[in-house]
Amino acid sequence: MGGKDIIQYIAESAEIYVAPDGKKYPVISLKAVTSITQTKGGLAREVEITALKQGITPWRYLRNTGTIGLDGQIKLLQSTVAVVGAGGLGGTIIELLARQGIGHIIIIDNDRFAEQNLNRQLMSTERNLGDYKATVAAKRVKDINSAVTATTFLEKLTKENAHRLLKDAKVVADGLDNLPSRFAVEEACRDLRIPFVHGTIAGFSGQLTTIFPKDAGLSCIYGSSDSLPEQGIEVKIGNPSATPAMIAAWQVQEIVKIITGIGKPLRNHLLMLDAMEGIADKIELSRY
Amino acid sequence: MASITVKFYSLWRLYLGVDSVTLQADNLDEALAQVEERFGPRLRERLQADGVQANGKIQDYSLILLNGTSLRNLKQTSLKEGDILQIFPPATGG
Repeated sequence: MGGKDIIQYIAESAEIYVAPDGKKYPVISLKAVTSITQTKGGLAREVEITALKQGITPWRYLRNTGTIGLDGQIKLLQSTVAVVGAGGLGGTIIELLARQGIGHIIIIDNDRFAEQNLNRQLMSTERNLGDYKATVAAKRVKDINSAVTATTFLEKLTKENAHRLLKDAKVVADGLDNLPSRFAVEEACRDLRIPFVHGTIAGFSGQLTTIFPKDAGLSCIYGSSDSLPEQGIEVKIGNPSATPAMIAAWQVQEIVKIITGIGKPLRNHLLMLDAMEGIADKIELSRY
Repeated sequence: MASITVKFYSLWRLYLGVDSVTLQADNLDEALAQVEERFGPRLRERLQADGVQANGKIQDYSLILLNGTSLRNLKQTSLKEGDILQIFPPATGG
């Protein structure tokens, strides 16, 4: 048994799923992936990638691959995404990235859960109040998808440490709650040539845009980084439970599109979603 | 005198009950003065009713873009036919 390679193990473990339309798909179970990983050593992610390369889909990605294909799923599993902030936006982004099967997630947050987070921050529970958000999020990632690895930095991202924290990411997601930090992330992403998926929320509304290194970015929306308000109108009108999920979900779609090359990222446009009136607006941004 | 469009988004649109208006103005100062005169008091009244104290003019507590870039980046103040001013509240939460 020790002489068999991973491909043989995978082939022996594969099953056939017959879809309602009669189409047949080779699949492999979580139990089989776990068993092969334990037998051969290494990462579950590598077993899943090997299976996908053989045309065998892990059951858990069966509803992904219809949209992004097996190649798309392989690209996601081979990718690292950094999420800066693990609160309202960030917590939901991390949850969805783990379910989508992003191979490695870097989680950056120095904050701990407090009671006022419970209304909207997906990772917060009554039992983990006082715990570091990043630590809780990393554990959640592992609970959702053992093929996904997470690295945590219990640090506040600053201009000084941004390059060190973000340099390994293929895409960076904005889960922050203030503009100065967002400008620091954007600047680092431009330097490192990494796409940055920006999102913000207030009340029943939110907005997002995807910024590639040469694209129009935050200064088009907010002006220069030296004259920014620390926080916006959400300080007064709050952030109800569903608003972070509304924007975070779209941010994750952006990440998936960027990594897989499928679809058209929201570059040079600010998408504004207003749930109060049910209106979506798209403003074309232009560099000055 | 250029004919320009002013568009309101998000909470500002809801508070003002207006999607967009057309103005005649030669430069930004003129346009912003008209926006303030027509919409400033109503917007502050609505904000105050929701417990939000907004001080100054609309441009002091809003994000305003001219054709997709923040006014804070622009040096020129002249306007041309068809320009669009986009006005909305600063949302920075996460």
